[in-house]
Amino acid sequence: MKELLAIEWLKIRRFRTFWILSGLFIVLLPLWNYEISQGVIRAGGGNKGVNFLSTQYSFPDVWNNLGWWGSIFIMFISILVIIIITQEYSYRTNRQNIMDGWKKLQFYHAKVYLVIVLSFVVTVYFFLLGVVFGRVNSGSFTGVFDEFQHTAYFFLLTLDYLGFALLIGLFIKKTGLAIGLFILYSLIIENLLRGMINHYTDLPWGNLLPLQASDELFPFPLLRQARAAMMAQTPSLSMTVYTCGASAWCLIYYFSCRASLLRNDW
Amino acid sequence: MKSILSIQNVSKSYGPVRALHTVSFDVPEGSVFGILGPNGSGKTTLLGIVLDVLIAGAGTYSWFDGMSPDAARREIGALLETPNFYHYLSAFDNLQITAAIRKKGKDDRIPILKQVGLFERKDSRFQTYSLGMKQRLAIGAALLGNPKVLVLDEPTNGLDPAGIAEIRELIRKLNKEGITIIIASHLLDEIEKVCTHVAILKKGELLLNGPVNEVLLSEDQVEVRAADMILLQQVLQKMSGIRKINGSGDTLNLTCEPSVTPVAVNEFCIKNGIVLSHLLLKKKSLETKFMELTNKG
Repeated sequence: MKELLAIEWLKIRRFRTFWILSGLFIVLLPLWNYEISQGVIRAGGGNKGVNFLSTQYSFPDVWNNLGWWGSIFIMFISILVIIIITQEYSYRTNRQNIMDGWKKLQFYHAKVYLVIVLSFVVTVYFFLLGVVFGRVNSGSFTGVFDEFQHTAYFFLLTLDYLGFALLIGLFIKKTGLAIGLFILYSLIIENLLRGMINHYTDLPWGNLLPLQASDELFPFPLLRQARAAMMAQTPSLSMTVYTCGASAWCLIYYFSCRASLLRNDW
Repeated sequence: MKSILSIQNVSKSYGPVRALHTVSFDVPEGSVFGILGPNGSGKTTLLGIVLDVLIAGAGTYSWFDGMSPDAARREIGALLETPNFYHYLSAFDNLQITAAIRKKGKDDRIPILKQVGLFERKDSRFQTYSLGMKQRLAIGAALLGNPKVLVLDEPTNGLDPAGIAEIRELIRKLNKEGITIIIASHLLDEIEKVCTHVAILKKGELLLNGPVNEVLLSEDQVEVRAADMILLQQVLQKMSGIRKINGSGDTLNLTCEPSVTPVAVNEFCIKNGIVLSHLLLKKKSLETKFMELTNKG
């Protein structure tokens, strides 16, 4: 694993797109949350608009709030993963790596390990941001570990998004098309499917679609209480189901990519 | 001679298109083995299969008497179709990746870049290279870590005449050092100049294979001219061992059996009172042979 990751590092360490997209994620996620926490970003007109979310940066609310925004900003890293995998196809370096002595599975695992490491690093960053925002807005570390499960949720969410990006990249192979389809799916197609499935079922099974399963781990911050009340009234799926659902999708991505890569020509 | 690569009944189809059909041959150790064929004859598909990037529909192959395929590939320097490198990385960084995958500890990047004439540009990004430079880098990458075998698919693509001559010399030099070289090319002249063995493919079928000398044996032609061409033709028709006489302008082309040498032709003519003004042995070129073979049927 270390050897494969060392070679992946050789591939990306001087890759400008890697640094730009990672840098945008690193800078924009805290900047965006800082402006909301300070009431700079508001809904409505000018500086008279309203800002409900500025209340959501104390412990323990900060974890869910930050995770909800993180699920949007993770698009930067998902697009990065798509670019990293599809450029292997456009440069035909996937073939060259095999001809130089890698097994097909080693090539694939190098990318899987990269996705896991990226997810881990992003989660560590999420944790640090949570601690800083929570400490600044709570005035103390009291309750820092309440709802700490959200850190694990965030790792799962990142793994789900990046794993899905890897799958799209490996199957589509063309960078532009893969990024387009990824964005289209995450913003429109999945919501369409979810609406249709939920329309015909008593339980909201549509919420278990690939990206939505992990999105459900971070409900929109102000609706959490309302949702908790609603869940008591109407049939719903528990966090455990969503956790299992998102984990199952990660395994499905892994095994379907693996089967396809081993079965087909490169 | 020990074989370094053995291919047994390899077939491959792309849907209804049959790319390779039960192809079998052995590549002897220490040879320069040319794989020839018109466009679409299956050369690259065959090399893709033995390098494990394509999956054979049927048949088997083995390198170095059954060494595990990935270990074998680390002993093979390969260039398939195009130079494949990370465009945003320099030659130096790209070769580092190749060396790491091949698990070659010794860093021979600098001598290799000097050998292929890219040392001055070693820190330039691959995307700034000309086609010829990219091709030279690919050959350099194939040479990393002293491979036992080189597999070169159209290695002179994009090179100028001087570059082509350099590659030819490099192939000869490496072969003398004991490296087996498998080369697929449409430049028949190139193959003929450097190859010791040849396999000819057409529409996925192996038409023939063997040592160049044997493949081309008995296909020699003798070109003759004399003052009285009509008499010359009449005399030569009586000579045994001449299969066919073709006249082209003021020259006769004789297709002869292996036993018929230019000396024998000359002696026969003199005995019959004819003095030749021109006598030339023409080895049938691989190109002629190739065109004959691939145009049949």
